[in-house]
Amino acid sequence: MLALDLLIQGLVQGSIYALIALGLTLVYGLLRILHVAHAALFTLGGYLGVLVTNATGSFLLAILVAMVTVGVTGMAVYRFAYRPLLGRSPLVALIASIGLFIASEELFRIVFGAYGLSYVDPPLQQRVQLFGDISLSVARIMVVVLAVVLLTVLGWLSVATRTGVAWRASVSDPPIAQAFGIDIERVRYLNFFVGSALAGAAGVMVALLNNLVEPTMGAVPSYKALAIIVLGGLGSVRGTLVAALSLGIIEAFGTIYIGNYLDRDAIAFAFLIVVLMIRPHGLLARG
Amino acid sequence: MSQRLSVQDIGVRFGGVQAVDGARFEVGDNELLGVIGPNGAGKTTLLRVITGVVTPSEGSVALDGADVTNWPTAKRIQNGLALAQQIVAPLRALTLIDNVALAVGHKHLMSPIKAALRFDRAPERERALDLLGQVGLSEVSDKWPEELPLGYLKRLEVARALALEPRLLLLDEPLAGLNQAEAHAMANLIASLPGPGLSVVLIEHNLGEVTRICPRLYVQNNGRPLAFGPTAEVMARADVRAAYLGAGK
Amino acid sequence: MIYEMVVVTNMAIAILFALSLNVITGFCGQVSLGHAAFLGIGAYTSTLLTKSGLPLTAALVPAALMAGTVGFFVGLAALRVRHDFLAITTMGVGFLFVGIVRKQDALGGEIGIAGIPAPDFGRPGLLVLSIVCAVAFGAFTVMLKRSWAGFAFNAIADDEDTARLLGIDVPKFKLWAFVIGTAGAGLAGALYAHQIRYIGPDSFGFVESITVLAMVIVGGIGSIWGVVVAAALLSALPQWFQFVENYKLLLYGLLLFTTMRFAPGGLASIVDRFKNRSARGS
Repeated sequence: MLALDLLIQGLVQGSIYALIALGLTLVYGLLRILHVAHAALFTLGGYLGVLVTNATGSFLLAILVAMVTVGVTGMAVYRFAYRPLLGRSPLVALIASIGLFIASEELFRIVFGAYGLSYVDPPLQQRVQLFGDISLSVARIMVVVLAVVLLTVLGWLSVATRTGVAWRASVSDPPIAQAFGIDIERVRYLNFFVGSALAGAAGVMVALLNNLVEPTMGAVPSYKALAIIVLGGLGSVRGTLVAALSLGIIEAFGTIYIGNYLDRDAIAFAFLIVVLMIRPHGLLARG
Repeated sequence: MSQRLSVQDIGVRFGGVQAVDGARFEVGDNELLGVIGPNGAGKTTLLRVITGVVTPSEGSVALDGADVTNWPTAKRIQNGLALAQQIVAPLRALTLIDNVALAVGHKHLMSPIKAALRFDRAPERERALDLLGQVGLSEVSDKWPEELPLGYLKRLEVARALALEPRLLLLDEPLAGLNQAEAHAMANLIASLPGPGLSVVLIEHNLGEVTRICPRLYVQNNGRPLAFGPTAEVMARADVRAAYLGAGK
Repeated sequence: MIYEMVVVTNMAIAILFALSLNVITGFCGQVSLGHAAFLGIGAYTSTLLTKSGLPLTAALVPAALMAGTVGFFVGLAALRVRHDFLAITTMGVGFLFVGIVRKQDALGGEIGIAGIPAPDFGRPGLLVLSIVCAVAFGAFTVMLKRSWAGFAFNAIADDEDTARLLGIDVPKFKLWAFVIGTAGAGLAGALYAHQIRYIGPDSFGFVESITVLAMVIVGGIGSIWGVVVAAALLSALPQWFQFVENYKLLLYGLLLFTTMRFAPGGLASIVDRFKNRSARGS
């Protein structure tokens, strides 16, 4: 049945968007910076996923390596790119981030070539039969499962552990959190680590779904992720997740119904503009 | 003869919270009214209703008899209202004299096309210098805001507001952040402002200075009007004292 | 001689394009990450007109008008949103433009339009026309900056809320900035289309919007001469040096980053710092 098929496609795509957009919203919530360079971290994850799997044959290892490495790289981006710019107008950080992103894309191209890399022996290709005549590759199912697992774990950690609570406090009100003695610097590093690791995981999965990682693969998802976090109401985790899933589904259905008038990738932005005109602070804006 | 400012039964609801409920007071020409109340009393919200940043859920605001409740801020400014902000907001890319000159020339900015054809700033700068003199800032007229301490910037706020030739001047906590001597001097300046054609509403926390210079007070507590009348009477009331002593509970 | 003419024409067009964004982002402080869309509107409008027989000179004004009109509506939309939301909204406008053009056969779809007619007056004529347009628009922005409109723009860019409290009709001024800036971009687009003689949706994407933004930022937001110099250099260097062309994007990226990191006020601020230092030193 077409509608169900589209819905599942939408959920898979939405899960990817959620993994990418979450990191963006976390950074925005804490620093008020639109972290466009996040896309480069996503792409880095993709490259690492392919390289490690091809070298060791273990996809699981690849995901772990990708997540940790990208997480650490994210922390470095904070330390060397954003921290020096914290006092200035947010426009400065935005432009710097865009500059960093463009430079990174080019570096990927220069180091790994413009045509990209593929999995030598792509894992998780078996198909699974779902209700009716819908069959999905395990890879696609993994995307949704991974997203759900990671986000649930994160959600649980943020209420059940001291670090997690401190983190939530800092994201919702940095000065007060600091007044309570929470080390804001550590929270920031944690923020970047977690957000970037998630993007890295998303990169690995997307590289798997397309069996291709190439230098510009981060561009479109990251622009959409920006639209998503704005839709979700800049800084709202729940809003971001809702917007991510909604967009995945809207794109899946939208391509079929208005694909004659509008490019698939532009649907996200058309949706964004329409929503912002009605609710200028996003779908689920913060208080 | 209508009042300079008339606030009637103003109610403001944010989400589930009633920030202001039934606020009412009036200000006549050549008057200085003090607006006081403990923290959280809703004074800022009330101020925002008067300036037009917030639209009330109930009630009305009238300026010289005209109902301005739904007017956008810029329109109120063009019609006799001016505000000196609590958190000083000098235009950092302009010197003090230009900050004030811009306000002096606000009438030239009503039409972007006309504004694009006008180049002369000299008359406005001259008037700006006068106004800066009135608030005691003549010596620093060509300095940049970032070079000056808070007390000076507070006076710049007042000069800029006066430059708009208002009939109603709103001062939002102009004494906040000033030391005793500065606050005293600022209060004296404020006391000198009201005159024929200019009324002043002073929102302040510094009870000592407010009660010294304001002949009338309006007190708000928890969003509700508590008292309105001559200062001595208002301050003698037990419920007004209780509101202040009980604050911070 | 032809090569030099091409390079200088491209420089003039880039300068015009950058100056137009300078009015929106520089003078009025409204970030636009989708300015290339208006270059595109001017390009496609003028192309459709010249392909149906009109001479280029007659197509210039409609191109600018079309871009300015769309710019007016985008400006209206921009009024609803602030700062970061504005950046993403304008980015969205850029993507929307490309997305729509891709699907319109009348505009050549994905493939674009080739064989755009050369102007009657040939390369030398186009060179002169481009320079005249760039200089005229530049002079116009200088006047704008010196006028009371520039005074108002300054205030709005500095602190919009305070500008409102000073009685400035902020929405009206913002709209004017958008209309002037987008019309200028449309004009540049018309010249661009007839210089390159081929246009496609990819010519007007996010990267192009960032490129022109880089020229404004590196030059120094609001500074007219700074933007002119930055635009001239950034458009000329890739044309002069093949090496630069190959690594153009890497260079832009690094340039944007290092400028923000070390000299957020751009070239203009570097020169100012230099002037102040030597004035104090003497």
